Parts: sequence; structure tokens; C-alpha cells
Amino acid sequence: MKPLFKSLIILTVVVVAAIQALAAEKIYVYNWTEYLPESVLAQFTEKTGIEVVYTTYDSNETMYAKLKLIKKDGYDVAVPSTYFVSKMGREGMLMTLDHTRLPNMKHLDPDILNKDYDPDNNYSIPYMWGSTGIAVNTDEIPQEQITSWKDLWKPEFKGKLLLQDDLREVFHMALRIKGFSGNTTNPGEIEQAYLLLKDLMPNVLLFNSDSPRLPFLAGEVGIGMIWNGEAWMAQKENPAIRYVYPKEGASFWVDSFVIPQGARNPKGAHAFINFMMNPDVAKACVEEYGYPTPVKPAIALLDSNISSNRTIFPDAKVIQQGEFQNDVGPAIEIYQKYWEKLRTGN
Amino acid sequence: MKIADKTRFFIILLISGWFILFGVTPLLLLVMTSFLTMDPADLVQFSFTLKAYSQLFIEPGYIIIFIRSVKLALATTLLCLGFGYPFAWYTARMPPKWRTSVLILLMIPFWTNSLVRTYAMRMVLGTHGILNKSLLSLGLINTPLKIMYTDYAVLAGLFYLMLPFMVLPLYATIEKLNFQLIEAARDLGAGAVSAFTKIIFPLTLPGIMAGCIMVFVPTMGLFYVASLLGGARQLLVGNLIQQQFLNARNWPLGSATSIVLIIFMALMLIGYGLLLHRFSRERK
Repeated sequence: MKPLFKSLIILTVVVVAAIQALAAEKIYVYNWTEYLPESVLAQFTEKTGIEVVYTTYDSNETMYAKLKLIKKDGYDVAVPSTYFVSKMGREGMLMTLDHTRLPNMKHLDPDILNKDYDPDNNYSIPYMWGSTGIAVNTDEIPQEQITSWKDLWKPEFKGKLLLQDDLREVFHMALRIKGFSGNTTNPGEIEQAYLLLKDLMPNVLLFNSDSPRLPFLAGEVGIGMIWNGEAWMAQKENPAIRYVYPKEGASFWVDSFVIPQGARNPKGAHAFINFMMNPDVAKACVEEYGYPTPVKPAIALLDSNISSNRTIFPDAKVIQQGEFQNDVGPAIEIYQKYWEKLRTGN
Repeated sequence: MKIADKTRFFIILLISGWFILFGVTPLLLLVMTSFLTMDPADLVQFSFTLKAYSQLFIEPGYIIIFIRSVKLALATTLLCLGFGYPFAWYTARMPPKWRTSVLILLMIPFWTNSLVRTYAMRMVLGTHGILNKSLLSLGLINTPLKIMYTDYAVLAGLFYLMLPFMVLPLYATIEKLNFQLIEAARDLGAGAVSAFTKIIFPLTLPGIMAGCIMVFVPTMGLFYVASLLGGARQLLVGNLIQQQFLNARNWPLGSATSIVLIIFMALMLIGYGLLLHRFSRERK
């Protein structure tokens, strides 16, 4: 009887484990590195009983390539930038959102909704926005010497720059220096920007998009591109690191929640997106990472030294000088072609 | 069938099944993909083209990466050989109980994942890293050396990861060396140099070649070392492949690059086999 008894125990264990695995409702969230506080995820699970399986990426391209491969049983929520929302929408990779399941949409700033990249927000709900500017370590380089994108081309920065590993942001710099729009679809203008960037390459020490602040904090680089939130986090650890809005205009971007086609748990995904629009949740995200939130009531809840911090919340003039990233349609392939040339070094 | 036959049949089936499933099939898929057309929306189109290969050989950037990669792998191999040969020699000449401990010390880092060890290298090589701090406090330098994100950092990382693969085959041949031959050579009037060039070197040559192959071949694919320690320039063929698959989504080009790398390595292994064959004939 003994072997039977043994196998019965094993069977029971297996069945119990299987039931538990099925019982816990899960969602799979795929997000940028260092972009969502763990405490918020825990709060969500506590409130809804839905477990969050959280994984990260460091560029839109990586996220896109992965989602492209998964036809079903994939991620439930991803956070692409504007031009990837429209690209993925066009290619049928996104589910249409059910706005009746997202009552917290009422908290969102209407200025950031219903944009060209996603009319009526059929596919996307903005999570955070922010800018890409220049970070300077003032212990090494006097801040007043750095006022524009053009300064990055100075010969004294040979082999010293950090650039974002993001083609749109890198091209934005060169396009703005040339006086073009960062959202241009004109192949001639993109080519001119490419030629300008080619001259910049000897200055580039590394491309980084996980945590651009870390090479600054480690003392490896003293100047480079950075996101405003990363600059703010860096400054908390080393006050010598400053954020500069370049005079040709910073690049502004929006990252939005989407539900990819083939999500396992669209219902849970809606619940998650709705939860993220709670003012106190949005507040926690700003406090942790230093990016502006589209959730309007959250800003009033913030401590005044955060809500008045110009690195986090730029003033209207700076926004006016800069440019919001927009969809460039099929021209993205032209950008990609030149980007790859820059990266492989020819 | 007898039981022994059955067992043998089963084991052969298992091994060849494994080999077909995880060796041959992926390789065939890779070969197939390398001849397909890239499609921005659907990854690949099922129409035959040689475009990936022509791109690889005609556009100058890819050949540059290949050459860079070979150079870096060669430098790593020479560095490992220069350091590993004396290391293996003195280890093999130690009293047996010491030998075991030295070899264990050499192997211990393998218990840690190589990715983790590469991250650890960043802490050593960084501007405020262990190396710079030590040199500064010894007064050997006044300003920290900027090593991180340069080719030297990659070389250091590769050297550190690959050294045991050089030492172990060298140790195996040196340990088996008949040291009476060296004594005989010295008795017959050979100096230290000619004893090395005429006796020791030829007898340990198989170990040297095995070590070089074991270091050189994998080095070209260790993309994570180059992406963690290296900077903006793409250094290794491995990085190019990774970039094509994960970011540029040009699977045909990524596959073609892999195939070219595989052929290159296969040629090297064949060359090694031929050399070894000739060598063992000469000795007879």
C-alpha cells in the first residue's frame, strides 16, 4: 500500500498547487526600467487581489520586438511612447480600450488627451510625460557653459558624452539645431540631421537608456542627454548634477498604458490602468521618479518643493520652446535606417 | 532484443533526438531565415533573397565590426596565453596538494554567473572603483583613470572571464610533460631558451592550440561583456546579432551574421584539427 499512499500525496500536492496557480488572478505588466514604484504594485494587489508580474525594457524597440513575437497569452499592459502607440495601433497590435471600465479618466488633464497619435484615446491612457534635456556635472563643467544642444558637439567633450539609446530623442537634437521640427517626415531633413550626428559620434562615450543617471553618479560621464526625472533623482544623490533645458528646445514625450492584442487578462489590465489614475497613486509615482503626471488632482497633493521644481514641472515658456514627440508615420523607417548606420559606425 | 541492446538503442535515440531537436532544427531555421526577406510589420516575408548576405558583405559597417571583433578576440587570446602559460606552468610544478587548491581557486569564480561577474568588473574598473581608489591611495596616479566604457574595459572583462579556459588545457598538457626530457636537454648543453623552444614549446603545443581555440571562439559571441563594459561603439559580432534580432528586427540579417560567424568558427576548428593531425604524424 505504501507506493499508492506516496503517489496519493504527490497527486494532492500537484492538484493543490495547480488550483492555487489558477485561483490567483494575474496581470503581466511590461514597463520601462525604474518607472513604477513597487509599493504601488503591492497596493494594487492588496486592493484588487490581482497579482502583478512585472518585467521591464529599456527601449521602445525592444518592447515592440517582443510584443510582435507574442500572438497570444502575452503581456496585459505595456507602456510605449506616443509614436509607438500609433505604430502599434496601425499594425493591429493593440486592443481598443473600454472607457466605461476607466472611470478615473476624469482626473486626466484634457490638454494631454485626444492627440494625433491616438485620437479619442482609443488605445492608450497617458501614464507620465517628461522631457529630454542635458545633464551637467557642475563639478567638472561650469553650468553656464552649457546652454544648447549644440554644446554637446564641442571638441573638448571627445569620448565623454552619454546619449540616450533612443533614436527619436537623438535625432531631435540634431533636427532642432538645424532648425527643423523634431517630428519631421522630410527625408532630406532627416539626412541632414544624420550627417550632423555623424560628427557627434566621436564625442559619444556610451548609449544608455536603463538609468542614464547611474553613469553620472558613478563619475563616468560629466555631460549628456538625460530624462528630467532621472536628472532629478541624480540631483538628490549628488547636488552637483544639474538639468539644462537646451535653448533649441527640449524634447517632450508621453508614455502611455496600452493593452496589447493577445493579453491574457484584459479585465485585470483595465482595472490596473484605472488604478494608476488614482490621484494618490499618481502622486506616489511623481515623488518616486520625478516625472510630471497627467493626473491633475495629484499635483495639488504634492509637496510644494516638488510641484514647484522646474526640473520636474517645466514652466510654460520652456514647453513652448520645446516640442512634443509625435507620430512620424512610415518615416520612422528612414530614421531607423540612419540610426542603425550611426550605431554600427558607418 | 536483449536488454543491453534495448538500453543502448534507447540512449542513442535520446541523444540523437536531443541533437536533432536542439542542434539541427534551430540551425536549419537559422539558415532558412537568413534567406528570407525582412518585413517591418511582420518580421519576415517568405520570399527567397540573398539580400541579407549582400548587405553583410557590401555595406562597410558590418565588415568593420567583424574585423574589430577578430582583433579583440585575438588580443584576449594573446593576453590569456601570456598570463595563462606561466600560471599553468608553475601550477603544474607545485607539490600535488598545492596544485589542487590552486585549481580550485581558479574554478571558484565559475560558481557565480558570468553576468554577475561582469557587473562586478564595473565596480573594479569604474572612476570611483576599487582599481582607481587603490592606485590613488598608493600615489601612483593623481586623477582617476577613465577605463569604463572603453575598449580596454571590454578587454579586461573578456580576459578575466576567459582565463580559466586557457589555463586548464595548458595545465593538462604541462602536467603530463616528461620533465626528464628537459633534464636531458640541459645535460646535453641546451640553455633555458633552447630547452623551451626545442622541447617544452613543441610538447605543449597541443595545449596551447586547444587553449587558444577555447578562448578565441566563444569570445566573439560574448555580447553582454561588450554591452556592459563597452561604450558606444559596437565591438563584437555578438552585439551585432543581438541588435539585429532585438532592436532592428532584421532577422534575416541577424541570421546571416550568425551563419557567417558559425562558418568562420568551423573553419578555425577544421584548421586546428588539421594542425593537430599533422603534428601527431610528425611526432611519429
